[in-house]
Amino acid sequence: MTRHQNTTDELDPAVAAELDALERALTGEPGADPVLSELVREVRADIPAFDGPARASLDARVEAGFPRGGRDGTTGFLARLKPSGPLFRPALSLAAVAVLGLAVTTVALNGTGGGDVGGSALSSVAEDSSVPESTGAATAGDAAPPAPGAAAQQQALEDSTASRESAAPNAAIAPTPPTGSVGALAGRRRVERSAQLSLTTKPEDVQGVSDGVIRTVQALGGVVASSRISIAPDGGESFFELQLPTSKLDRAIAQLSKLASVSGLTQDSQDITGSFVSVADRLQDARDERAALLKALSRAQTDRQVSSLRARIADSRTRIASAQADLQRLKNRTDKATVALTVTGDPTAGDPAGKGEDEGGAWTPGDALRDAGRVLEVAAGVAVVGAAVLLPLGLLALLGHGAARVTRRRARERTLDATA
Amino acid sequence: MSDTLTMALPHQNTARMAFDALYRQTADDVFAYVLSLLRDRSASEDVTAAVYERAYRKRSGFKPDRGTERAWLFGIARNAALDELRRRSRTAALVVEPDDPGASAAFDAAHDDTEAVDRRATVRAALATLEPRDRELVALKFQAGLTNVEIAGVLRISEANAGTRIHRAVTKLREACS
Repeated sequence: MTRHQNTTDELDPAVAAELDALERALTGEPGADPVLSELVREVRADIPAFDGPARASLDARVEAGFPRGGRDGTTGFLARLKPSGPLFRPALSLAAVAVLGLAVTTVALNGTGGGDVGGSALSSVAEDSSVPESTGAATAGDAAPPAPGAAAQQQALEDSTASRESAAPNAAIAPTPPTGSVGALAGRRRVERSAQLSLTTKPEDVQGVSDGVIRTVQALGGVVASSRISIAPDGGESFFELQLPTSKLDRAIAQLSKLASVSGLTQDSQDITGSFVSVADRLQDARDERAALLKALSRAQTDRQVSSLRARIADSRTRIASAQADLQRLKNRTDKATVALTVTGDPTAGDPAGKGEDEGGAWTPGDALRDAGRVLEVAAGVAVVGAAVLLPLGLLALLGHGAARVTRRRARERTLDATA
Repeated sequence: MSDTLTMALPHQNTARMAFDALYRQTADDVFAYVLSLLRDRSASEDVTAAVYERAYRKRSGFKPDRGTERAWLFGIARNAALDELRRRSRTAALVVEPDDPGASAAFDAAHDDTEAVDRRATVRAALATLEPRDRELVALKFQAGLTNVEIAGVLRISEANAGTRIHRAVTKLREACS
């Protein structure tokens, strides 16, 4: 671009003409305005020279490429990170934003539990509805309200201080001595528990889920009382009647629920403490009667008395045996929980909440893919949370930076005016 | 610098040589411009050194589509000089280094006749009466030799605005000289 191209159409024509004349004087063109040429010559003649030690020193530094090195010996990046360095404020801001983002992300992750939502929620439902106070039913979608007093009551009754999961059911099925006292029996709640669980999976997975059911039950010390498995290309169904230690019912439901999608869960509990106490009382009465009869027999003096007492003792023995049998039946009902489990094959079924994590099966490439997807989901969640925090902060920082630049620029202009 | 030399040298060396050339072409002009703003030779020397160091560090940030290298360099010089003025205004009242009339007179006497000396003194006095913004424009136009487009880039104003201001400053200078 030549100096004659400086003027634009926006300028006043007279001003543009005078600027053109100035350009001609500056370039020393012949025919330029002599007054302007003289002015240019005089101004330029008064240009101060940049020489002396300062010039020599700068020449050397330019020649050397401005080697870094502070007067205190600090060099390079560290020197720029010092409080007086140009990178100090940006580095401080970046560190503050990073710490804030990390804190918020950590809080957010802790707040949501960090994953495994399905399994945890399901386990929670199962545990909360473990031992209701009274007979009732609970489903996965509409859980019966937990009995607030039941757990505390059972804890108080429990002799041991075992964990809640084992303590609460143990209170229900704590083994009673064959000649257990009526008072002790009356102080404990006897609850019979059962559950109906419906799982849905893809048709091709019905067999695998059924195998997982059996493995899970065996691992928990239970038995498969009966089973029926039918496999079909477009569906398939399997049914199990399981008997499990009542103390492990909650854990069993949680683990079984991870094998496939839970389509239904119903838990029943029935308080049979009254029946238990009644039978125990009957047993105790029979024993007391027998003891009294034996005592009377030892004092009998006639054959007729002896014969009569022996007949009554035999009758008492029969009643004792009957009561003991009844008590054992009741105890069996509280010791073992029954679970009716149905696995249904459905082509539209989704993946189970926790399949591959704890069902006891082999870890397959499919599980690996699911785990990888889960990891990506969590990573995406973290990224979203981080972005939710960092984006506003970044925008604020950007606005602040822009405002600071404008302010600094205006301050410079004011400084120039102030030197007048 | 020849094209052959440019192609043969590594990029780092090429960039350094280009900067070295820019420095040698502009050092006097930048110093004169900074001095016109600060009116303190010692401070101007320091600021000029800082300008080139800053330019050297930020040379990768220069964008040719946004102006010439000279305009970019004088923009850095302007910011550095005004920052120095701000710093000094915060710490103490601006102490303007008085001109050395003896040195100028001796230089003038050695090289020019009496009439020329008088003319130069008149112009010098006229420049001193200008407002800082006008004096800055004269320095950029007469001493540094920037085009109107480059001056507009340095001052961050439009080219037409720059032309108008230059015209006004020159008019004032001519009136002060007459």
